[in-house]
Amino acid sequence: MAGDPYAALGVKKTATEAEVKAAYRKIAKADHPDLNPDPAAAERFKAAAAAYDLLKDPEQRRRFDAGEIDDQGQERPQRRYYRDHAEAADNPYARSYGFENDADMGDVFSDLFGRRGAAGRAGAEGRGFEGFAQSGQQRDFHMRGQDHRFTLQVDFMTAAKGGKTRITLPDGNDLEVTIPKGAQDGQTIRLKEKGGAGLGKGGPGDAYLTLTVAPDPQFRREGDDIFLTLPITLAEAVLGGKVATPTIDGPVNLTIPKGATTGQKLRLRGRGVNGGDQQVELKIVMPPKVDPELEAFMESWRKSHDYDPRIGMKYGS
Amino acid sequence: MTRYYSSTEVVALIDDLTEPRLTAYLRASIVEPVATPDGPGFRETDVARLQLLCDLDENYTLPEESLKMVMGLIDQLNAMRGDMRALMRAVASEPDEVRSRIHSSIRVLRG
Repeated sequence: MAGDPYAALGVKKTATEAEVKAAYRKIAKADHPDLNPDPAAAERFKAAAAAYDLLKDPEQRRRFDAGEIDDQGQERPQRRYYRDHAEAADNPYARSYGFENDADMGDVFSDLFGRRGAAGRAGAEGRGFEGFAQSGQQRDFHMRGQDHRFTLQVDFMTAAKGGKTRITLPDGNDLEVTIPKGAQDGQTIRLKEKGGAGLGKGGPGDAYLTLTVAPDPQFRREGDDIFLTLPITLAEAVLGGKVATPTIDGPVNLTIPKGATTGQKLRLRGRGVNGGDQQVELKIVMPPKVDPELEAFMESWRKSHDYDPRIGMKYGS
Repeated sequence: MTRYYSSTEVVALIDDLTEPRLTAYLRASIVEPVATPDGPGFRETDVARLQLLCDLDENYTLPEESLKMVMGLIDQLNAMRGDMRALMRAVASEPDEVRSRIHSSIRVLRG
């Protein structure tokens, strides 16, 4: 409190004890921080409470009026406000305000604010969420079941094309899971109500499957695009032609242009996942054995057609 | 380890709290301290709650039953406030596009 305690309470210096008390109560009713969220109200209440603490004791009031003590009065213990504690997630007095069993929003609400954590912590102290007895009766204890989290590895093709797979839950039950087409590594699938059983009227929790997609020896995926390195022969590179190319939906004929080279990228539109493309990177592969015929041909070809693919390269010092 | 206050300590700590008043609150289960081998142990939350109960008692001279009802409403409101604060914080950290979609839906629902 800064300044005049009489002003803080809005009373005259000559006010009686009863008037001081009445003035304080009036402010406390309107501005109590636990009842009025306005910060200005909290300030008014704090000033009034400090003023009242000082003036309610006749001896202290006399000493203040005589100038013996200042408006800070004597040391007061720090006043506690319930709201500072009550909004905390683990407040043992937290009360449901009615969304849990809402037909439309109950699930959304529980997902966001399900009080499992608070109930668990309070329970550890021997007092559960159910501890708040109403009119002498114990409230029934309802708690939504625990959400279970698993990691599930799916093969590359199942993730790309979608499909079904079976998992065994910790309780021993088998469950068929539908993997959506184009499932990504790290994606989470929610299986509604396949988590732990609830207590009382609390429904079961959900199971969440985080997918890891196993790598494929030939395909690679980025988002909806598929990447593939396609080996081609020396002849195919020189002459061009159609080459059967694997895609996730089976082989597709890819036209190799004349004079194709290693590292060259060709696109198969719409052959990826969900309308994505497949990008094919060519890689020229030498025959397993360089035969005398090829060697002889190259010898004579080089004499008249040699070229330098390293032109412009810096060699360093 | 949480510090617990004893009954004697809370009565000393809170000006308006008397032994009979504390006994009445305990009997009505308006405040529910932790049971310890040395009797009831009051947490900071309990102390703050007792302070508010005394304020309500003093300022409104509420009978016990009404006090219990008012505290029940205050508890609901505070739980809701805490949840709302968490929700708002979560919404606030979403990108503009998401926040503007939420904004439009709320406008539709709440005018």
